[in-house]
Amino acid sequence: MTHLSLVNVCKQFAGASAVCDFNLDVEKGEFVSFLGPSGCGKTTTLRMIAGFEVPTTGKVTIDDVDITSKAPNQRNVGMVFQAYALFPNMTVAQNIGFGLQIRKEPKGAIKERVEEMLSLIHLEKKGNSYPYQLSGGQQQRVALARALANRPQVLLLDEPLSALDAKIRVSLRAEIRAIQRKLGITAIYVTHDQEEALSISDRIVVMFEGKIEQVGSPFEIYNFPKTAFVASFVGTLNTATAEVLDPAERLITMDGVRLQSAEVMEGLNKGDKVSIAIRPERLSFSALEKKANLMDCTIENITFLGSVVRIQVTIGSTRFYMDTFNNPFLELPKIGDREQVTCSREAVLVLKA
Amino acid sequence: MKRGGKVWSWFWMILGILYFFLPLVATFLFSLRAKKGILSFLAYSELFKDSSFIKGFSYSILWGFLTIIVGILIFVPTAYWVRLRVPQFRTAVEFITLLPFVIPAIVFVFGLVRTFSQPPFLIVDSPLLLVAGYTVLSMPYMYRSIDTGLRSIDVQTLTEAGQSLGAGWGTILFRIILPNIRVAILSGAFLSFAIVIGEYILAQYLAKPAFAPYLAYLIQQKAYEPAAATIISFALTWACMGIINLFGRGQEGQIAGGH
Repeated sequence: MTHLSLVNVCKQFAGASAVCDFNLDVEKGEFVSFLGPSGCGKTTTLRMIAGFEVPTTGKVTIDDVDITSKAPNQRNVGMVFQAYALFPNMTVAQNIGFGLQIRKEPKGAIKERVEEMLSLIHLEKKGNSYPYQLSGGQQQRVALARALANRPQVLLLDEPLSALDAKIRVSLRAEIRAIQRKLGITAIYVTHDQEEALSISDRIVVMFEGKIEQVGSPFEIYNFPKTAFVASFVGTLNTATAEVLDPAERLITMDGVRLQSAEVMEGLNKGDKVSIAIRPERLSFSALEKKANLMDCTIENITFLGSVVRIQVTIGSTRFYMDTFNNPFLELPKIGDREQVTCSREAVLVLKA
Repeated sequence: MKRGGKVWSWFWMILGILYFFLPLVATFLFSLRAKKGILSFLAYSELFKDSSFIKGFSYSILWGFLTIIVGILIFVPTAYWVRLRVPQFRTAVEFITLLPFVIPAIVFVFGLVRTFSQPPFLIVDSPLLLVAGYTVLSMPYMYRSIDTGLRSIDVQTLTEAGQSLGAGWGTILFRIILPNIRVAILSGAFLSFAIVIGEYILAQYLAKPAFAPYLAYLIQQKAYEPAAATIISFALTWACMGIINLFGRGQEGQIAGGH
């Protein structure tokens, strides 16, 4: 059953469209990330769910109740901000219990809930500390506990890890996901970090210029991008212009190299120009294994990235990257060598403009 | 820091201290010379026997506290709202808050008398008009102190955090914003209080009891008592502000958290 729903939501600021025709249904307990570059409308959409912005058109519902015009303090929606937004004049316990105090819950119940939340975020001993006495990661955990203390119907997280260093970001995102799973709460997570979105989400909504580009699981978004933007934004991607040879056989040609794709080329005719994309890790040297597509290439550059070695090759006049796992017992080619690379039919993606 | 720089720092600091304290020390020493040939507190005891001094000074303290309360009630929500909702009007509002520097107090008081001495606003005899006048005079200091305090916190995010937890405007203002700009409010209050204690024109022309008109009267009549009154006013003003500071600060951690 749909828990949170956004129907034809649009938002304009001074005539300029920030979000346009946004439609999304979120199931109860689902973790959905809004992913996109700065200014794509992801935070604006989140703020419309929170009630900080009113949609120009469209509606927002939770459990079929229209909350579009409800004030933020009348919605039962928890929010975690990028800048933590803990109240500096209150202790950790007072911060967590603030929302419950507003609801005039009994003192005993507040104390119990605060202790429960402190235990959830593993900060049992920090109840009497002030926010300035905590690290960034601890502050954000308190902000999460504060947002959850009210038992909100939906939890909104606006780039909550952006202000933290890389190591804490990784551990805290796992903690956020574990808490969300444990409580079974519906969560909407805004990020511009693709790795974060891919690792944490049930579904990802990729946005660009105020519109949804693609909605899908992290696996679908990464492996089967529907548009050129999604393909280029999520992960590293080799893109090139190609020409349709035989739509029925799904054959194309790129710089005179014949390639076969697994994608249905509906509406395309022989001679049509298309964009194709191949992930670097889908390419391999044909000396090791042969797949449906074979391409002669010249080695241009080799970059050691730790667990991965990135090799830059030219196929005709097109430059491609190829990623291979770092294997200390495997001999790598040298710059200037002529080699043959191969990829499967499924690796060749034909993209919509 | 270079040695020369350190010497100059000390030089300017000592010069500043001397500039501030020398007149005060001179006034104090002068106030002790009421009895010929010996230093005594005669001027002070004479002063405390004068009921007009007690009355004038007490009223000034009362006007000062009322001005601070009215100032907080008006300028905190205004500065908060301007920063949160209409930041484009900040320059205009700042210009308005500076008007008391531009308009001479004498012009201001005649404007007050003329406007509020006829129906429908016949309140020229009310002490409220005096407090309102003082509030206007202290506006540049109070508003700017509050605005500086608001600048040091993330007003919008704290407000939104409060809203998302179910708080209304009043709760957000009095439980979240106000405690976090307490230090700024205190400095605004200190300046407002000092202005009210030393202000002469408004109280004189609105014919209300206050310390400054009494001091002006005293200067014309006596020699040593005005100096004693000046020292007492300094001491009492500082004592009052110390008390405000003491009650306003609360726990050390809370203030630190406000930064």
